[in-house]
Amino acid sequence: MESLRIEAGKSSPEIDFDAASGVLRIRGESFPENAAKFYQPVMDWASRFLCEASGPKAVLELAIVYFNSSTSKVLMNLFQMAEKAAASGRDVSVRWICDAENETAIECGEEFKEDLSSLPFRIVVTPGG
Amino acid sequence: MSLNLYQFHEGIKKEGILFCYSGPISQSTVEGIGATLRLNMELEDAGASTAQTVFSVFVEQMQNILNYSAEKLGSIPETEKELRKGVLVIGHAEDGFFVYCGNRILNGDIEGLRSRIEAIRLLDKDSLKTLYKEKRKADPEAGSKGGGLGLIDMARKAGKPMEYGFTEIDGTFSFFSIKVSVQEKGSWKV
Repeated sequence: MESLRIEAGKSSPEIDFDAASGVLRIRGESFPENAAKFYQPVMDWASRFLCEASGPKAVLELAIVYFNSSTSKVLMNLFQMAEKAAASGRDVSVRWICDAENETAIECGEEFKEDLSSLPFRIVVTPGG
Repeated sequence: MSLNLYQFHEGIKKEGILFCYSGPISQSTVEGIGATLRLNMELEDAGASTAQTVFSVFVEQMQNILNYSAEKLGSIPETEKELRKGVLVIGHAEDGFFVYCGNRILNGDIEGLRSRIEAIRLLDKDSLKTLYKEKRKADPEAGSKGGGLGLIDMARKAGKPMEYGFTEIDGTFSFFSIKVSVQEKGSWKV
């Protein structure tokens, strides 16, 4: 499967989904005009990648400094997709990376985690500065 | 009109207004003003978390205009981009910041919008959190271009109940105004 790369824009994050390593990275800020449309190729790719039960170990690595409410909805869809894949035997987990000084990002990670009981979800707080 | 904006400028300064925008809004407006707003918040010595909250309310307000204002300037077919008009005001009051926003809506949409705001306006933070999470997991509502979460998100970030109103323009349109106040961390009054 080919990897998926989208450069960061002024209001959209960098997407770096590497099929070989199984690391699916989203990094930056996310407040596009139409989040559902921006993330459509991302969701399609993730859906194909995660549906192969025999695929490599998958890690969703998100370092999102800020996201708007419509992105929040899309991220929840992505996590639910990962949760389903996990339930059907795929090794998949989430690393939610945030800066110690970004309280909002930490709280947002916790709120996602609370709603995803069967998906391994780790909040990784990096030292601020 | 004489070429003198001094009175206007002094007037808005007295109201504590940091920013005032009226006109067509596109996503690049959101990005551009947003970047300037962040710099401005630094100069106002707002803490990182307050600045982030004001920025996020600003984005939700602007994108509401972008998605729902009934005042359109037509669309540019090649880019599928529409320009919609609205007014946005950001100010610094004694107890915090406010983000004030207005745009035209169809008279027929007033009741729906009013009931959506009334349903959440006076909820406490825990109930808003529960509602936000429920809506986030649910399928999108018909006619919603965002996640349908924008208003709830703003209510969660508001330091006091959101204020809003409708002013009738004519038989077709009304003007919708909504004000969200953001408490500054450290100045939270119970």
